[in-house]
Amino acid sequence: MTSEIRIEKAPPGPPPGPVRHRASWHLRANALVVAWLAATVAAALAGDGLPAPRWLLIHLFLLGAVSTAILIWSEHFTVALLRARTPEPRGSLIRLGVLNAGAVAVLYGMTAGPWPVAAAGAAAVVAVVLWHAAVLVGMVRRALPGRFGHVIGWYAAAAGALAVGGTLGGLMAAHVAHGGLHERLHAAHAQVNLLGWVGLTVLGTLFTLWPTVLRTRMSERTRRASRAGLRLAASGLVLLTGGLLADLRVLAAAGLAVYAAGAGAALVPLAEAVRARRPHTGASWMLAAGVAWFEISLIADLVIVAGRPTEQVAAALEPLVPLVLAGFVAQILLGSLLHLLPAVLGGGPARFKQNAALLERGWPVRLAALNAGVPLLALPVPEPLTLLGWALVLASVAAFVVLAVAALVRSAAEEHPARRAAASPALAGVVAGCLLTAAAVVVAVTGDPGPAASVTATGARTVEVTLSGMRVRPSVIEAAPGTVLTLRVTNADAQRHDLRLATGERTPMLAAGQSATLRLEPLGETVEGWCTVAGHRAAGMTMRIVPTAALAGAGTGHGTHDPAGQARSSDGGTAGGTDSGGTAGGADSTDPGDTATGTGGTGSGDTTPGSGTGSADPGAPGLDLAAPFSPGWKPYDATLKPAPGGTEHAVEIRVDDRTVLEVAPGVRQRVWTFNGTVPGPVLRGKVGDVFTVTFVNGGTVGHGIDFHAGANAPDTVMRTIDPGQRLTYRFRAEHAGAWLYHCSTMPMSLHIAAGMYGAVIIDPPGLPRADREYLLVSGELYLGEPGSDGQVARLREDRPDGWMFNGAAAGYDHAPLKAKAGERVRIWAVAAGPSSGTALHMVGAPFDTVYEEGAYLLRSGDPGGAQVLDLAPAQGGFAELVFPEPGRYPVVDHAMRRAEAGAHGLFEVAAR
Amino acid sequence: MTWWSVVRFAHVMGAALWVGGQLTVSLVVMPLARRLLDDERRATVMRAVGRRFGLFTAAVFLPVQLGTGVALAWHKGVTWASLADPGYGRILAAKLALFCAVMATAALHGWASSGGRPALARAAAVASLVGSVGVVLLATALPAT
Repeated sequence: MTSEIRIEKAPPGPPPGPVRHRASWHLRANALVVAWLAATVAAALAGDGLPAPRWLLIHLFLLGAVSTAILIWSEHFTVALLRARTPEPRGSLIRLGVLNAGAVAVLYGMTAGPWPVAAAGAAAVVAVVLWHAAVLVGMVRRALPGRFGHVIGWYAAAAGALAVGGTLGGLMAAHVAHGGLHERLHAAHAQVNLLGWVGLTVLGTLFTLWPTVLRTRMSERTRRASRAGLRLAASGLVLLTGGLLADLRVLAAAGLAVYAAGAGAALVPLAEAVRARRPHTGASWMLAAGVAWFEISLIADLVIVAGRPTEQVAAALEPLVPLVLAGFVAQILLGSLLHLLPAVLGGGPARFKQNAALLERGWPVRLAALNAGVPLLALPVPEPLTLLGWALVLASVAAFVVLAVAALVRSAAEEHPARRAAASPALAGVVAGCLLTAAAVVVAVTGDPGPAASVTATGARTVEVTLSGMRVRPSVIEAAPGTVLTLRVTNADAQRHDLRLATGERTPMLAAGQSATLRLEPLGETVEGWCTVAGHRAAGMTMRIVPTAALAGAGTGHGTHDPAGQARSSDGGTAGGTDSGGTAGGADSTDPGDTATGTGGTGSGDTTPGSGTGSADPGAPGLDLAAPFSPGWKPYDATLKPAPGGTEHAVEIRVDDRTVLEVAPGVRQRVWTFNGTVPGPVLRGKVGDVFTVTFVNGGTVGHGIDFHAGANAPDTVMRTIDPGQRLTYRFRAEHAGAWLYHCSTMPMSLHIAAGMYGAVIIDPPGLPRADREYLLVSGELYLGEPGSDGQVARLREDRPDGWMFNGAAAGYDHAPLKAKAGERVRIWAVAAGPSSGTALHMVGAPFDTVYEEGAYLLRSGDPGGAQVLDLAPAQGGFAELVFPEPGRYPVVDHAMRRAEAGAHGLFEVAAR
Repeated sequence: MTWWSVVRFAHVMGAALWVGGQLTVSLVVMPLARRLLDDERRATVMRAVGRRFGLFTAAVFLPVQLGTGVALAWHKGVTWASLADPGYGRILAAKLALFCAVMATAALHGWASSGGRPALARAAAVASLVGSVGVVLLATALPAT
């Protein structure tokens, strides 16, 4: 119980052969850790040049370096402590390989690739640690009862924690949660990984490592303290994670307190060891300092978790992360490697001493630098001091990396003397000089704005930019070259976002509701912007600022250019979180002093990235209405079915804004729809019927719905909901009529023009039966990707490319509606607009009945007749007629410009 | 041709002499000394060369480069804040940082050769030479306006 533990030597049992093999495999494995550390330093130096720099830095270090080190060392310690047989080396290598592959997949998937890559990587990591835990537990089972078995429990619990934390990370990568739940997932992920995977491993290791480093005896009470500590810490962690996920602040805080108590219990024997022997080596001081920072961060963590709602924990932990990473984790890792590397490198006592001396070189300076730097990272000090802190910490870590590489190279050279010649001083000098120069060149070149620097300012504009629901809105901002743009960026989401531009400007990380202002250089070339939170760029949180001249060059513009200081922004969707439709999401945010009307650069029909379905040549002259529709095209069924029975109607309306429809002969383009059709589904009932609409936003941006037939306060039912959300819209149809429904999200002109409209038909009491009933919903046609600059410009100028009945220009010319001579035909009509009404006229057959906006203007049997059913935008009604004889009767919007551009159809009337 | 041309001339000349001197010592003097002189005399000669070059560096090169460099930067309107700006400022800052690193390496070379660590001294000398070339590279990358 009181013997000195020596883990720097392999257990005496096995013969020399495997031992040498073991040392060499550890050597190689530790090279992985050193490589990850070097990558971490490189990422820190590259800074903002990388996608998601902060996330990348944290995960290169924790998921790369620390997890690899834990996997290697916890297995090594288990073998040494249990005096067990080394597990199959192939298994260990596979675990290590899969862990590293998983880590690379996570890093790549989150920063650049599609999210499934990251999720798969997380799954691989989770699988590896579970396997690792099983191996450790298996070794305990097989080993003879010993004094150190209790340590393995800590390792197994730590692996379990990473399995949970990795799963949470994978869920976040898959974007399964939004808003507050996402933030809670994030908090739980960080806590369980840092306190569990890292914290439990460190505490467990210290029981044996600490006395060894101090060269003293293990305290008598170690085993008891260990068992009590693990029980408390593990259960505390479960409570903490559960509390954070379930939004129970008190539970989470209690769990953290229990964990802290467990950690405290575990540290008692370590404190006793210090009383026996003062720390005297670099390794012991680094470990001691690391433990001190661990306790400090635990206390700070406890204050944070206890003091605020669980959604805000992740954000509040943010400043603490550098302290934990640099002060606790990095320092413990460096301290352990400092102590263990010489033993691992092997090569006899002389070599051991030499390596130890090399690694410990200048340790007091490195220790002081690191620990002076750590508080500067966490405290709210001015920017230069924070940079100084980073410089101190990174220099200390880099110094260790250099020394460790030197030791590794030296050992490798010892093993293979032939390679020694390669490491000549001259070559080393050349390499060092080249590295220095390369670093300087990288610094010099980064953020070089290139020709943009020479652009002269021609005007100034302010644009409101909203971040929410994995979108940046507007997604495209157009401005004349030379415009000095100021972006007022607001995070309207419940989770954190920021905005970074390719030119280097960036906002700080914005919590929900926060805003920041970015002032850009005069606009020269197209500038990309994105959110740097890991995975968000891949999920589509991007934007572009486009000089209008560049746009006009790309298309066949027929607008005139107005160069001076104008800018327009097209909105890819809603302004985040509009409740009552009162705010416009940057649809038009022209400066008050700027009289630009947005006439320039309308040539391009398609500027939204990722589209490609838009027509190349927009504008009415481009529509060939006589051309055939594509084979397989089916018109929207204009036949209106009678109202279903009953007084309660339950309907689900789902937004699909990725549908591609043929909107004119040969022109297929993306439209925004309710239930995949334009117009959306028809609701029909009687006066007094109740409609319960389940409205689901299956689209990619925020949408809402507004039923004119209902009487509801708009605040709740017409609110904009984010993709994936749903709401229930219940209304009683108190009045008869042909009613419009449409998307209620600003800018509504865009959402309606993109196809988000439909009809509700409430029959007037006593409506006589007709032989046939048809519904025609008139709407404007704008070619191009919904929300693209060209489309929005024409929309604002009220210059549609065509007009449609039921979502297709001249559709019923190509698929005529049927009737028979002498039949009474009732044609319902709703004018969806957004700006045009309709003057519905049947060539060759007057109407004998006209019902418009809730009242009959004319009834059959009256002496008069009607030539037009005249509807303003959003009005509705019906007209009836009897075709006098067989023939082809055109039904047109008698505003002939609209008829000639698509508001035209045919009735094919057969003999009775 | 103003007085600023003279200042710039001095700055460029100083750099040429410093880089050229290092190249001469490394590529001409050292190999010849190694071939022609025995170990003892070579050590004496090289030590003397190193000391003289170090003296030149400290007494002439550094003051001239720092003085003319600061003057040129002031003339150009460089401020501390503008050093962080992409473009001219960033390149100048990188060049200064690399220059400081080169000076530190040169000092390391002096310390190592006097402290009897020939391998380290050699490595530091070569690193300093390569770094100096890098400084010249960055100087040529500075926009010429």
